[in-house]
Amino acid sequence: MLELVDLSKKFHQTYAVKNMNMFIERGEVIGLLGPNGAGKSTAISMMSSLITPTTGDVRYLHKSILKSPSPLRKVTGIVPQEIALYDDLTAEENLAFFGRIYQLKGKALKRRIADVLDVIGLTQRSKDLVKEYSGGMKRRLNIGVALLHEPELLIMDEPTVGIDPQSRTHILETVQRLNTEKNMTVIYTSHYMEEVEFLCNRIYIMDQGQLIAAGSKEELKQILSSEKIISIQVTNVKETFTHALSEHPLVNNIKMKGKEIKITVDKKANLFPILIHMTEEASIELLSIHVETPTLEDVFLHLTGRALRD
Amino acid sequence: MIKQIIKKQALLFIRNPMQIVLLIGLPIILIFILGNALGGTMDGSSSPINAKIAIIEHQSETKQIQQLLDETNGEPINEHTAIGMTPIQAFTSLLQHESLEEIITVEQIPLEQKQNALQDESYTAIIEVPPSFTYDLLSHSLLEKDEAPVLRIYENEQQPIATSIVSDLVDNFQHQLTLQAFLKQQSIDQQALAVESSIFNATKKTINQTNTISASAYYTVGMTVMNVLYIASTIGAVAFMEKRMYVFNRIIIGDISRWVFFTGVLFSGILFSFLQIMIIFTFSWTVLDVSWPNISDMLLVSLAFSVAVGGITVLLTAVSYRLHSETITNVFSNIIVVLMSFVGGSFFPFGNYSSLVHALGTITPNGAGMTAYLSILKGESFMDVSTHIIYLVLFGLTMTVIAATSFPKRGQSI
Ligand SMILES: Nc1ncnc2c1ncn2[C@@H]1O[C@H](COP(=O)(O)OP(=O)(O)O)[C@@H](O)[C@H]1O
Ligand SMILES: [Mg+2]
Repeated sequence: MLELVDLSKKFHQTYAVKNMNMFIERGEVIGLLGPNGAGKSTAISMMSSLITPTTGDVRYLHKSILKSPSPLRKVTGIVPQEIALYDDLTAEENLAFFGRIYQLKGKALKRRIADVLDVIGLTQRSKDLVKEYSGGMKRRLNIGVALLHEPELLIMDEPTVGIDPQSRTHILETVQRLNTEKNMTVIYTSHYMEEVEFLCNRIYIMDQGQLIAAGSKEELKQILSSEKIISIQVTNVKETFTHALSEHPLVNNIKMKGKEIKITVDKKANLFPILIHMTEEASIELLSIHVETPTLEDVFLHLTGRALRD
Repeated sequence: MIKQIIKKQALLFIRNPMQIVLLIGLPIILIFILGNALGGTMDGSSSPINAKIAIIEHQSETKQIQQLLDETNGEPINEHTAIGMTPIQAFTSLLQHESLEEIITVEQIPLEQKQNALQDESYTAIIEVPPSFTYDLLSHSLLEKDEAPVLRIYENEQQPIATSIVSDLVDNFQHQLTLQAFLKQQSIDQQALAVESSIFNATKKTINQTNTISASAYYTVGMTVMNVLYIASTIGAVAFMEKRMYVFNRIIIGDISRWVFFTGVLFSGILFSFLQIMIIFTFSWTVLDVSWPNISDMLLVSLAFSVAVGGITVLLTAVSYRLHSETITNVFSNIIVVLMSFVGGSFFPFGNYSSLVHALGTITPNGAGMTAYLSILKGESFMDVSTHIIYLVLFGLTMTVIAATSFPKRGQSI
């Protein structure tokens, strides 16, 4: 349905997106995962015909959108990262204004507004000014605006940033329902791997303007198939201990978070006796020890050596 | 869609009462304050103008005429033609004509009191007739000799309206004298009296026209043309907010041409400027009794001025879009509007400035609008107003064209 071919965007001298290749089939929910500044929003701006790529092409139904963006624009709903609403208008007035952009009018517009308000759960508050809304309600309305014209393709740029857990769950469930009930194709951008893991059939991982991995959840986790993660908890962390641990030939990587230490080792390595020995040596008490199933977070860490979020 | 953009702007105004207060309440308050503070000199409701004029003659007129008659031996002037040739007397009696009685008081004072009179604030103007004025004038006009002499006027700057009437009177008078001289040279027998009455008519017209511009009327115009400029920055700021908040991008992605949006901003600027003018004028008409002698001319000027402000609106929008910054809009509303209003005459009448400032003033849209409105209030003809109307429309169009060329093109926005 949508295809990105060697897509690049240069701002001044630096690439925000570089040589990006991606395809989206009808009915898929695609995740685009990456830390802040990875180039997700820039990629989305290009695939939604908002900015022209420096090089490369975006194709909708095998036709380039660079010269004629209209066919794509008519069937696409965009949920921007920013809350693109009028604070001084009510939800209903906002929906009416943006509905007119998609040539909706009269009864049809009224009906769509009512439907959308229902989907985003704001029917009760439809006559309130947006500036009186909570962050979560604004986010929901931000999504609602993109749904007015019943798009085939919904592109969402970090739609859950900075909101309460209820709203977040509501949004995730709404997206899932739109996909299963209306067969809506969704591109979902986030730096929360849980969301992407929950929603998406296929995931692209992006870092510093480039795609560094792509595939289904299972496929991505296969990247870690040769390794496993051992998580230990200790009473106190000592420099000598962590140093010795990271220097050990069996250990590929360690990551500390308070009194928890995550140790990446080869799948076949048997670290337990060594760990017990080392903690005794450093006179540290070992509180717990277990082997974790890898998350996309771990995949990202493995690929970049950095955490997805700080 | 353009209708929707305008409707949205209307809603935004309604939801921001503070903005309405600034755009409409503030000018009204200023009209009140300034109109009353200067009511003494500019208020036309009771006794509009009270000009007290002193005339100082260096030499008696009859002596000068006699001298001329003696020197020329009655050729080509004889006593008969010289009878009507007492210009200063004619002028004085003109000023004392009964229909000017309420407006002008004339005193003839001796030369020795000149210094005292100059100190005296109660005089609107002091007209000094230079020595041998009449002699020079007659020999210039009848014998084609010398330069025509000129009356010297000392004006009291604290009475701008009254002094402008007096100087109009004197100008008219001198103009008529020149005309008279011309007629004499062409040997057209022209009764001095007839000339005199034509001076009088011209003068009366000036006074009647100026009469209607009360301080309230002046500041209604001044504050309106100033505050309408804030429509440009207000709507320009909304348009920039729409870009910053991604709303503009949403419109583009919705496959609406950026030019539709641009036109929407332009029309909003024009329409809301026009509405603002109408509201303030309606107020000053109902409450302050500032009425328009020619409503259709007033509406035309208002429309032309609104087009000019609409042009500024899109220019501010385009530049802020181009530079990704609201600075231009802020500079406009905080600095440029005040400067433009100052040179445009919103605070003080044009006459009090140097001619450079005056020239600068009329090229500002608010200055041009103000001049046009004042012309209508003075009862001047459409011809006098039309050049300003054309200027304002051209100004608006020029701004719009500059804005359109600097507005970001497709694919440049983010
Ligand atoms: N309009 C722009 N001008 C210059 N640099 C930009 C612009 N937009 C984005 N960038 C840069 O491109 C990089 C990617 O940004 P972005 O696409 O917003 O990342 P993400 O959405 O993944 O957080 C960042 O380094 C950002 O500073
Ligand atoms: Mg982003």
